[in-house]
Amino acid sequence: MTSSPTDLTAARAVGSGTGDTAEAPAASAAGALPAGAGGTWQALRHDVGAMLGLGYIVLVTLVAIFAPVLTSISGWTPYEFDQTAIDPDLGGMPIGPWGGMGAEHWFGVEPGSGRDIFARIVYGARVSMSIALSATLLTTVLGVSLGLLAGYFGGRVDVVISRVMDFLMAFPALIFMIAVLSALPASNRSALLVVVISAFGWPYLARIVRGQTMSLAQREFVEAARAAGASGTRIVFREILPNLRSTIIVMSTLAVPGYIGTEAGLSFLGVGVVPPAPSWGQMIAASVKWYAVDPAYFVVPGVCLFLLVLSFTVLGDRLRAVVDAQEGR
Amino acid sequence: MKHHRTGAAVIAAVTTLALAACGGGGGQNSSSGGGGFTAEPAEGGTVQVLQNADFSYLDPARGWDGGVNNFYRLVYRQLTTSAPGSAEDPNEIVPDLAESLGEVSEDGLTWTYRLKDGLKFAGGDPITSAEVKFGISRAWDPEIGIGSPYLKQVIDAPEGYEGPYKTGDLPTIETPDDKTIVFHLIKPFPEFDAVLAQVNATPFPEGSGAGDEFIHEIIASGPYKLAEYVPGSTIKLERNESWDPETDEVRAAKPDGWEFTIGLDPATIDERLIAGQGADVNAIAGNIQPATLPRLQTPQLQDRVLEFPGICTTYMGLNTTKKHLDDVRVRQAISYAIDRTTIVNASGGTQLGDPATTILPPTVAGHKDFDLYPSQDGTGDVEAAQKLLDEAGLSDGFTMTLDIRSQESMQAQAEAVQQALERVGITVELNLIDTSTYYETIGTPSQQNDAAITGWCPDWASSAATFIPPLFDGRNIYEKGNGNLAQINDPEINSRIDEIKAMTDIDAANEQWGELDEQILELAPVVPLMVAKGVMLPGENVTGLFSSANAATGGIDYVAVGLKDPEKG
Amino acid sequence: MPRFLLTRIMSGLMVLLLVCLFTYLVFFALSPDPAVQICGKSCTPELIDQIRGNLGLDQPFWTQFFLFVVGIFAGRTYGDGAGAVDCAAPCLGYSFQSSQAVWDMIVQRLPVSATVAVGAAVLWLLAGLAGGLLSAVKEGSFLDRFTTGLTLTSMSIPNYVLALVLQYVLVVQLQWLPFPQAVAFADDPVQWFLNFVMPWMVLAIGYAAAYTRLTRANVLDVLRENYVRTAAAKGLPQSLVWRRHALRPALTPIVTIFGMDFAGLLGGALITETVFGINGVGKMAADSIARNDQPVIMGVTLLAGFLVVVGNLVVDVVYTAIDPRVRVNA
Repeated sequence: MTSSPTDLTAARAVGSGTGDTAEAPAASAAGALPAGAGGTWQALRHDVGAMLGLGYIVLVTLVAIFAPVLTSISGWTPYEFDQTAIDPDLGGMPIGPWGGMGAEHWFGVEPGSGRDIFARIVYGARVSMSIALSATLLTTVLGVSLGLLAGYFGGRVDVVISRVMDFLMAFPALIFMIAVLSALPASNRSALLVVVISAFGWPYLARIVRGQTMSLAQREFVEAARAAGASGTRIVFREILPNLRSTIIVMSTLAVPGYIGTEAGLSFLGVGVVPPAPSWGQMIAASVKWYAVDPAYFVVPGVCLFLLVLSFTVLGDRLRAVVDAQEGR
Repeated sequence: MKHHRTGAAVIAAVTTLALAACGGGGGQNSSSGGGGFTAEPAEGGTVQVLQNADFSYLDPARGWDGGVNNFYRLVYRQLTTSAPGSAEDPNEIVPDLAESLGEVSEDGLTWTYRLKDGLKFAGGDPITSAEVKFGISRAWDPEIGIGSPYLKQVIDAPEGYEGPYKTGDLPTIETPDDKTIVFHLIKPFPEFDAVLAQVNATPFPEGSGAGDEFIHEIIASGPYKLAEYVPGSTIKLERNESWDPETDEVRAAKPDGWEFTIGLDPATIDERLIAGQGADVNAIAGNIQPATLPRLQTPQLQDRVLEFPGICTTYMGLNTTKKHLDDVRVRQAISYAIDRTTIVNASGGTQLGDPATTILPPTVAGHKDFDLYPSQDGTGDVEAAQKLLDEAGLSDGFTMTLDIRSQESMQAQAEAVQQALERVGITVELNLIDTSTYYETIGTPSQQNDAAITGWCPDWASSAATFIPPLFDGRNIYEKGNGNLAQINDPEINSRIDEIKAMTDIDAANEQWGELDEQILELAPVVPLMVAKGVMLPGENVTGLFSSANAATGGIDYVAVGLKDPEKG
Repeated sequence: MPRFLLTRIMSGLMVLLLVCLFTYLVFFALSPDPAVQICGKSCTPELIDQIRGNLGLDQPFWTQFFLFVVGIFAGRTYGDGAGAVDCAAPCLGYSFQSSQAVWDMIVQRLPVSATVAVGAAVLWLLAGLAGGLLSAVKEGSFLDRFTTGLTLTSMSIPNYVLALVLQYVLVVQLQWLPFPQAVAFADDPVQWFLNFVMPWMVLAIGYAAAYTRLTRANVLDVLRENYVRTAAAKGLPQSLVWRRHALRPALTPIVTIFGMDFAGLLGGALITETVFGINGVGKMAADSIARNDQPVIMGVTLLAGFLVVVGNLVVDVVYTAIDPRVRVNA
């Protein structure tokens, strides 16, 4: 590698869910991870942690998809007020233990309005998941294509893309995200969230893709393809990209929890999705004030979010371990 | 103060004493405690104030919002001021630096005041009529005089006058001798005493306060002076030895000092007040959070709960220039359909708010009690609303956009409105606007949508003159900074406003304001939603806690506050 | 070496200029008219024009941007005549909300943010290195798996949730810590220290988890390298193999990452400072965003960018010092 020293630090260490500087999480997945995703599933299947994580992710996804069905069973929409479930003389606190949990409201109700928390969790899963997954998708597309470009073509293209990456990584992303989101009209906040998160997220993936592309480009099979007269695009997409598959899968999986955390964090800071739409981050933000008197209100979205982040983290982690092992390290 | 100023003031209002403590007035403390709030404080000690937002400005020509006005009262004096919260009528305007209220000429245009003896700035320089005039003339400076607009609106000044630093002397304020000061008004203003009680009528030594001099500094005329100032963190006040208590009937000023801790999370403030550890026994703060209410049920804490009535009305303005809303029947239908119970509950329940059916809250002089659109338990009359919509040919309802500030309690209120109107087929879309630009946006008619939720507080509660006209005078619809959100321009209302404003008998005028309130709501240009009340939890060693509508926007009037035992904490 | 450094400094400056331009451009395009905002309630169109003139807002974008950049290096004067205000270099302008000089505001709060960052950094380095080394040594043991689980868990808790839970448990329930009070170190060192314990912990936990994982992975990688195996096969005592051959190469990448993380935090830990009400640069940023105080947001963004660039630079220098290979390649 003819890289400058900073390139040796493959990526920053901390994910945005926990760190104070919002940035895409990325472990130090430096070094090439060549192909061989064939047996990945086989290996992963026997990993309890990974399977539990995957199970939870599938569950949340199903819940998100079937939200209207679930709320028609539970009987409350996420927006309906239930004044009988709260005590107007006590700051609007839910009536009954555990935040008003019971047959009527399975997960209790929201203080002040009496809205059904189960319905809001279910619909909130839609928002949180769709934002995080869209952001991951966009980041991956951007990161992979720009990383490939920079790594394969090198030269001026590389210089430009690398400078942009340096610039974005030096940028105080969290401050900027909040400032931009609060300044822009809130009407299409979800789309904005995706764009803003992705705009600052892609360099972390692009960097690794670039590095690996650079080393792959020197390999025999690429040389062979080139000698056989294949075009640049063809080589990039047919020869190099497949070899990056496992890296991309691992990195993307590891990025999802960061984006879930970022969405929640931005909602916590008041620039998230627009009311009355629920998101888990917004629910946590609203509930933190009540944690002392109505812990259930805080615990339900908190645990849902925590488990989701944890599931993606564990799954990504195990995925990487399996990929690493397959490649014989 | 109106909820309407620049971003800073508005934000301050969200979390600090300003709007949070938009309760009170009238001094009738309906406290559930055992009278420990109103005992005579002892001399000495330091009062702690815990707050979230920083004060907007130390300079009273610049700052003008509930939180900072109350603070100014500790360090600055004016010719007149509002009576202490402990007074029989705390809304009354009383002499401060002046010996008595103003003497007005026959034509109502010339007002004369005489200063008391022994008035000094911190450091010992005397306060004469020249300093009073200089301080007042700062209000005309385009960059500095961004606070209260009343001086500029009422006092006559030469065309193009731009304050003492840019233009120089203000010839229309006369100072025939050291003790006498004479004002000439543009047109008669019977409540001129209240104008001089505005914070920007503070005296300053001639030539001082140019540029950014008063950004970090205070030249005190009141009982305290600045000891330490760390922006965004702490303000410490210590006794101003040059202040002579003999000259001041308003400020008891018993404590030796004040310490304002700024930037605390509201939940943390509540935790500290509940715990009451160390110096926090001497602490006061603004309204507690709704989530804290259920924790105050223990007898010890119940005794410490201080409740003030509200003085600000939260209302929804209906833009009468928009399609559908230009039909009075539609606006009346909305007034019927609104469910005030859900709105109050969403804002923290019955302890923190009362439903409002009038524009003038009960604590503002002139309030008349009526409900033009009654319903069972205030939950809205869906049938009456539907009937009006049928008449208007909108049986299937319509869609309207509601502007709201991206701030939690207002969002909750908006969601409650949304739910209530859905019952009559009106779909409300929420347009979330950032807190910092909210008032600017809704105050610009070209950017305003169908409806907006906002609030209004009186600038002085001794009359409704600062409540009704700014909101409903059709000649005050401005391209920017518009306060008449309904954009209602009704000749009858306009002429009634003129008639009442010209009345010199303020009590009679107040009664008329109340009548006008009802007359206006028949047209339903706005829907009054609620009046937020104050619920506070002062430290157990604090006393002298009275509300003041004028000086503290319904919160605790600082000048009467003190400690029971100065040695504690 | 100097040539290499010069290149890095130049590219760092480029990045900073870009950060500056980008931020300026975005706020220029997005934010509502600051003159209207400053003008306040009793505003007239003439007044707005005057304010615009004084602030240079009536100038075209590039002129404004140029003046801003010049102001940073050479200072500038706002307005003219009697009302003119001199802003000495480095001039970042004045807050629209409080009229204070942005540079002064930053200088005043930077030590607070630095205190938060330094304390947290010490904590997370200690915990991360110790945890990582331990799990690497005992690879596969219960301790290793426990540490892995713990790190994954702590990386999954949002820090604002952690902050509030900690405050509730440590301060409200157990009363082990007092509520944060605004005290200077000189006045009451103990209270001062106790104030920062929670923010340090909250900030450190996420990083500590990440560093544990990083250390563990690096150490394991190095231990598998041939030269380490050779050294062990030669019969060197294990402790010596570790110290001489494994630790140094394993920890070098951590130095790099630490440099950048730390630099990033110096510019203010926004969420932590906000939640705990710490009057640092991060909280100032959050407050000024809420008030749309454009010059302050600009100032903080630039500062944060500057710190990251400088951090990178320092890392590069340190790196060349400890890893000579880099020098050759550069």
